Amino acid sequence: MINATKKWIFLKVSSIILIPLMVWFIINLVSIYEKDYVDIVSFFSTQPSKFLTSLLMIVAFFYSSLSISEIFEDYIHDKKIKNIANKTLYTFFIIVPLIIIMVLFNLNI
Amino acid sequence: MENKNPLSPHIQIYSWNISLLISISHRIIGVINIVALTLVCLWIALLLLGEENYEYIKFFLQSFLGKFLILGLTWSFSFQILSEVRHLFWDFGYGFELITSKITGLIVIFGSFVLTILIYLIGKQII
Repeated sequence: MINATKKWIFLKVSSIILIPLMVWFIINLVSIYEKDYVDIVSFFSTQPSKFLTSLLMIVAFFYSSLSISEIFEDYIHDKKIKNIANKTLYTFFIIVPLIIIMVLFNLNI
Repeated sequence: MENKNPLSPHIQIYSWNISLLISISHRIIGVINIVALTLVCLWIALLLLGEENYEYIKFFLQSFLGKFLILGLTWSFSFQILSEVRHLFWDFGYGFELITSKITGLIVIFGSFVLTILIYLIGKQII
């Protein structure tokens, strides 16, 4: 299987996982964003919220890294710049979900 | 010799239509959503600073700008969800006819506003 096919399969599988997670997260975000500190921490302290938020962040950043690398492919001519842009993108998109997972598992009320 | 041909998707050459509009919007909104999710990550991380420091963030989120940003994020999520579903139908071989493509494009545009209202009302437990 060539790399482009693998990339396409990863994109499609991650988008199928992402759709219900986005619906779940945005409904909950709307319901909690104006609430008090204690309510918000309580929400993120429950096991389902920790798990689903972590999963959302991992899949969303994974999906975005693949999608944005496609944008780089389409619009950046210079191979060196494209390579640097992709490496920066992948590094950033690995670090952010890792940090947020650590934060979520340290949040307790 | 330097190649000055435009790269995909040639937005400066083709005349604008629904499919082109949805295609480029899908990309732009995808980037906006990941920037927004990064800010959501920052918001969650700031919870570690404690209740007293959170008052500033709460004040911002309860302001007009804060509510507008959340509503905007709800719309951009709604748009991407519907556009992604449209792409998945294409992947299974459905919806390639020109008229179907135009109709589903319009469903993505107008449906995103309907879905935004629906998500907001469910989130606020009004329905």
